[in-house]
Amino acid sequence: MRYVSSTLLAAQKEASAVPYVEVKASNRIAGVIRLRWERLYTGSETDAYHAVARPSDGSLLRARVDPSAAKLYYQRTASPDEQSNFAAWSDFGTVSNAGVALSSSGAKVLLAYVTGGNTIKVKDSSDNGATFGSAVTAATLASVAWLACALKSNGDALLVYANATAVYKVRRTSGSWGTPAAWPYSANGITGLALAYAGDFHLAIAGTDTSNNPRLWAAIYGDGFERAADTWSALMELADADSGSNVTFKAPFLSSLDVHRLYFVEKYTGTVAYSRPLWTWFPPSQSFTINAWREPAPLDLSSDYGTAMTGGGSWAWLSTPNGVWRAPFTASTTDLSGDVIEVSLEARRLGGRATVTLRNDDGRYNDLPGGAYSVIRPGGELEVSPGYVTGQGPEVAAPGYRYWIDSIEHTSSGGEATLVLHASDAWALIERWRARRQHTWLAGTKTIAQIIRFVVARAGIELLTAGTSNPANTLKPDFTISPGEDGLRAVRRLLAMVPDLMRMTDIYLYLTEPEDDEASGYDYGTDHPIFHARYASAVLPSNRMQVFGAGVVAQQFDWPDIDNQLDRLSQVFDLNATTQAKAEDRATFALRKETLAVPHGELVSPMSCGQEVNDVVAVTDPLAGLSAVDYRVMGVELRYVRRSRARHSPVYEQRLLLGAV
Amino acid sequence: MTVRKGEVKSFDSGTYTATVQVAGSLPVSLTAVPVARNIASGEMVAGRRCAVLFFDETNPKDAVVIAVYT
Repeated sequence: MRYVSSTLLAAQKEASAVPYVEVKASNRIAGVIRLRWERLYTGSETDAYHAVARPSDGSLLRARVDPSAAKLYYQRTASPDEQSNFAAWSDFGTVSNAGVALSSSGAKVLLAYVTGGNTIKVKDSSDNGATFGSAVTAATLASVAWLACALKSNGDALLVYANATAVYKVRRTSGSWGTPAAWPYSANGITGLALAYAGDFHLAIAGTDTSNNPRLWAAIYGDGFERAADTWSALMELADADSGSNVTFKAPFLSSLDVHRLYFVEKYTGTVAYSRPLWTWFPPSQSFTINAWREPAPLDLSSDYGTAMTGGGSWAWLSTPNGVWRAPFTASTTDLSGDVIEVSLEARRLGGRATVTLRNDDGRYNDLPGGAYSVIRPGGELEVSPGYVTGQGPEVAAPGYRYWIDSIEHTSSGGEATLVLHASDAWALIERWRARRQHTWLAGTKTIAQIIRFVVARAGIELLTAGTSNPANTLKPDFTISPGEDGLRAVRRLLAMVPDLMRMTDIYLYLTEPEDDEASGYDYGTDHPIFHARYASAVLPSNRMQVFGAGVVAQQFDWPDIDNQLDRLSQVFDLNATTQAKAEDRATFALRKETLAVPHGELVSPMSCGQEVNDVVAVTDPLAGLSAVDYRVMGVELRYVRRSRARHSPVYEQRLLLGAV
Repeated sequence: MTVRKGEVKSFDSGTYTATVQVAGSLPVSLTAVPVARNIASGEMVAGRRCAVLFFDETNPKDAVVIAVYT
């Protein structure tokens, strides 16, 4: 159940309650601002090492290395906008054709670059990059190629740098650079470094492992937040390719403005070759150590040195030596509630849709996505919250149902005009994710919950594991997702191995084991009226489960159902069932899932605003002989019509699909 | 059961398994896929196309290369 206030709880049980449905549209994807890039500058500068930063005064700082002239160029645009001249650069002197890095914190700015092929120089600014002090040598390393730095608000900093095969770090504390040290890992190649500070120092490292397999790793260098100070985390794979696949990764850039956002280059040298910047992020409340990133999306650009991102205030900025982009960086929410004519929504265990009809008699929605309604466009987020008008005013259950707009219709009929928004829930985002490579987890590497987290994260959705079963948290099967397979199918196959169900609440997916003795959380038929209902005693599609594992066989039976209809057999072949216990568990879970999937009827009532899929409810219906009988909610449907032509009054009702507890 | 098209990347005649790049997977191949014993080892040449039968599409180890062709 979602939270319902006492006044809303009282209102939803009254026959005379006034319906209220809140509908809000926003530019987010599960809590993360959707960036829509607009290119402001296209130049002729050479694609090479570069960096960008935005200090607190809102200026945009860019740095690039010109490899032919061996020069460092710097640019500060005080008030960047579409009128700015992004072609004007200041000559910052002779440097090596190697990495350059910028980082800012408040008005402080740190600029790092390489001279003489082996000397890493840094310059500080305390006036938002307007002027810099003298260069200081922070470290030396033969054949240094890549740099990244992160500046803290107190002026302390971390500089990471790499030659062809190793990463090094050096810290600045209280103005003094410490002793450089190599990372504790080995690699055959380093092809890019990125660094961002968010309590700890978060890194992205591109390169090849000691077997020459291209990799993009995430790692943490601790600063005492999630990780002990001055310690390295393990390398966490963010993207991988096989040696000889012609695919490599390069030039990552990492920012932690609102959430962690990562840009990197995927390069393919086969036919047809490409060097494509990709971008990804992960949910706002997720720890960096979880390492579950959205599927990287391509940018309409070809580059070997990637795209650097910064932002703050109203805009996010993307930069290459010869390009500047910006995107609105504010979470925009538009309340559409006053225009709602009709809403129908459905929420199921593994899918849901919504249709929202808005008045458009004055043509207010005829200029989409312009004007005040810029968030109403395909992909925009809708939050639909059922409620009532109470003594406190309009009240809704929080949080609402989340959907993302699939299509937009303008209608005209009989002199009336409406705007109809068709939207799908997070499961549609997950279903639309297609594996673009073979994903394989060998036995013993990741739990089922961790693999589900990976899959839903590819669609930008965060998984929470409250009340998750022990098998979901401990079983580590051989598992693969083949190219072209969709995320929903993969999740279904994973759920078949455990007793858990899933539901979407707010912007999170929950993986939870439904206990068969779970107490009901809400009553129907006592003080919450039932309009009409039907209750069914359904048989099981399968009441006898056979599991054939790796040299073991197990069976489970539902004897009462077998008494009714003799046995209905279902067979499962699973080589992950390597022991008798695992095979028996698999059979038990399969039979339990059969039980939970059988419909037991439906109930139509006034809207119960906090009702969610998988809740257990008690139904009392004397006409059908029911007294506080528990059901588990398999689905919730809402129908709201502000002005019904047939009844000349609003329609506001809920239909619950009932199943076994 | 599903059948997928692939390309032989390498073959181990000792374990009679192959590394197969399943069609659609540009960067990554499937390793240690059992190869049908009725396929002569000399036919498992890198670069040849092959067919992989997944008895359980969930499990990469429950699959077999059933044909190799060019």
